[in-house]
Amino acid sequence: MQKVIQTHAKAADIFCRDESRVDWHSKALWVLREKRDRAASSLPEWETLRALGSQIKLHTLRELPSYLEAFEAKCLSQGVQVHWAKDGAEHNRIVHEILSRHGVKKLVKSKSMLTEECHLNPFLEGKGIEVIDTDLGERIIQLNHQPPSHIVVPAIHMKKEEVGDLFHEKLGTPKGESDPTRLTRAARAHLREQFLSADAAMTGVNMAVASEGAVIVCTNEGNADMGANLPKLQLHSMGIDKIVPDLDSAAVLLRMLARNATGQPITTYSSLYRTPKPGGEMHVIIVDNGRSDMMRDKLLGEALKCIRCGGCLNTCPVYRRSGGYSYGHTIPGPIGIAVGADEDSTHSSPWACTLCGSCSFVCPTKVPLDKIIFHRRRLYAERKSLPYGKSGYMPLVGRFMASPLLLDTGMAAARVALKILPHSLLKPMSGAWGKYRELPAAPGSSFEGWVKKNRPELLVKSKGEK
Amino acid sequence: MKIALFTPCLVNQMMPEVAIATLSLLEKLGHQVIFPQGQTCCGQPMTNSGCFNEAKNTTLKLLNAFKGVECDAIVCPAASCLVAAKENFHEFDKSPEAQAVIDKLYELTEFLHDVAPVTQFNRPVPKKLSLQLSCHGIRMLDLAAPSEYMGPRYNKMEALLSRIDGVKICYPERLDECCGFGGTFSVDEGAVSAKMGKDKAQAHANTGADYVVGFDPSCLMHLDGTIRRRQLPIETRHLAQILNDAL
Ligand code: SF4
Repeated sequence: MQKVIQTHAKAADIFCRDESRVDWHSKALWVLREKRDRAASSLPEWETLRALGSQIKLHTLRELPSYLEAFEAKCLSQGVQVHWAKDGAEHNRIVHEILSRHGVKKLVKSKSMLTEECHLNPFLEGKGIEVIDTDLGERIIQLNHQPPSHIVVPAIHMKKEEVGDLFHEKLGTPKGESDPTRLTRAARAHLREQFLSADAAMTGVNMAVASEGAVIVCTNEGNADMGANLPKLQLHSMGIDKIVPDLDSAAVLLRMLARNATGQPITTYSSLYRTPKPGGEMHVIIVDNGRSDMMRDKLLGEALKCIRCGGCLNTCPVYRRSGGYSYGHTIPGPIGIAVGADEDSTHSSPWACTLCGSCSFVCPTKVPLDKIIFHRRRLYAERKSLPYGKSGYMPLVGRFMASPLLLDTGMAAARVALKILPHSLLKPMSGAWGKYRELPAAPGSSFEGWVKKNRPELLVKSKGEK
Repeated sequence: MKIALFTPCLVNQMMPEVAIATLSLLEKLGHQVIFPQGQTCCGQPMTNSGCFNEAKNTTLKLLNAFKGVECDAIVCPAASCLVAAKENFHEFDKSPEAQAVIDKLYELTEFLHDVAPVTQFNRPVPKKLSLQLSCHGIRMLDLAAPSEYMGPRYNKMEALLSRIDGVKICYPERLDECCGFGGTFSVDEGAVSAKMGKDKAQAHANTGADYVVGFDPSCLMHLDGTIRRRQLPIETRHLAQILNDAL
């Protein structure tokens, strides 16, 4: 699908035109937030776990080279082949090289936002290799030729009736079928054929355990295991940030991952892979793709603590009302802005946020998302690439606000205008505010004016005030 | 206590009634209140847009209005401005005089709950209040435990209001979801902001309360504009106004 480049506000405006869909989308995700609240509150030690989770990730990121080396050494000693990719293109080349060496025609894939980030599917398809996403949600959007709109529930933007229509067209289910159980059954049968006929399997990695040389993959459908266990060739792609020191640290994060994502105590399948199957090959591809650059900025680097639970998307009031496709990068929502803003050519995604801070409190590893988003805005201002005309009007606002005289006379004029001008005249002038809301009722004078008139004895001049 | 009033530009210019109520209630509580001249905006509209250079003069102007002013506390009836002032003062001026000002800054709820606790009110307020838990106040100033947080529960606004006879307290659905104001967000992201405001205003109205009560004038202004546009049967009140009525 050709991606249209537009600011977040513009895309959101279009999304918002269908209000019943917005309400439905917002509610579907809020249900996950509520399940998360119930699951989190059932553990008295939840906040302790979050503190631990944050410390584990920070510690590992600070010692990243040594943990990655330890992981690689352990993998090699267990017969696993390890590859390093500095960016998406290199990752794709490595994958293709492995696949073509084995003459792979069909690859089954599971759970990987990283391969989305690297745009692996179109790359491999261009080389004549069929790629089948096997997570149900991923498969739905793949059949619909769309990227994921959420990192955990990638097809959340589609209603079950729409999935029914899609399956009718692509998988031959009865017309008008929208029962989730029957649709899931049809998808299972279809996927089973894919598993059986695939030549290789690829998965993402939720965590890579340095001490064990093992990768952990979490799925609810067991599809990663179906994939990895059937063909002889298995590949696992991971970002450098996925490493954790040992099984104890993995356990801390695993206790929070599913709870914070969907409210489940733990993901249905949490599998560890650490050796190739007899006669088979296991490859791990470790990808940087901008991560070490991010780490050079201390605050941006904290985004790499993320374990991709999606909790921040579910809680985000803006994401829920604007949809995942409005952000202009692969990963939407608060964490998407934190790690992906540079991908957004309109520079608008950091402004898709009220800085309400809910994401930072929901996050199981305490990624300071609102601080990072705030910081992103400053970086844009410093690079003089602000969206929405801000570089033009902000200096004016600055001068206006810095001058008590201008502020006072300007606002006095505004108060008069609010009083005497008919609202029909004011509304177009007040832009987006008046389009959606009534203008404030104007008071007769400022508070300072009131004090001067009624309580002048309260006034003091500071030493700083000239 | 001797208290210097900090009235951010929005309160000073557009909602003087909030400042008057704050002044009145602090005086009724026996404090001496003064009003330093030359206050302006805290710079939040600019810093929130990333424009720190453009914010500097404004912020320093506000800081100067308080430098050297003799008082025990500087109290502000606007949570979000208070947070921004604190952070921006620190960003632009690291002198001991600036730190002295920062150390005295309190948001009104925080001041009345933690610093000079009000334990008793004299007059009943027979109203049902739907509390507006504005984001910056609860998540950056700890005025209440946010719903995402699983540690101990607390809510300073509720604690204060529940000491008033006759008051009935309730909360909207999704009780501390953002109302969508977000400063320039309300203009840049008009559609989403409006939808958030609408959902919030409706949730407050659904409680059947008489008033939406909050500690952040900017959120209240946003909700008020939405409530009047949709003609919902509820009105906004600042916490200071309710507390003042009860004293
Ligand atoms: S930033 Fe935190 S809440 Fe958001 S997806 Fe990552 S771990 Fe989850």
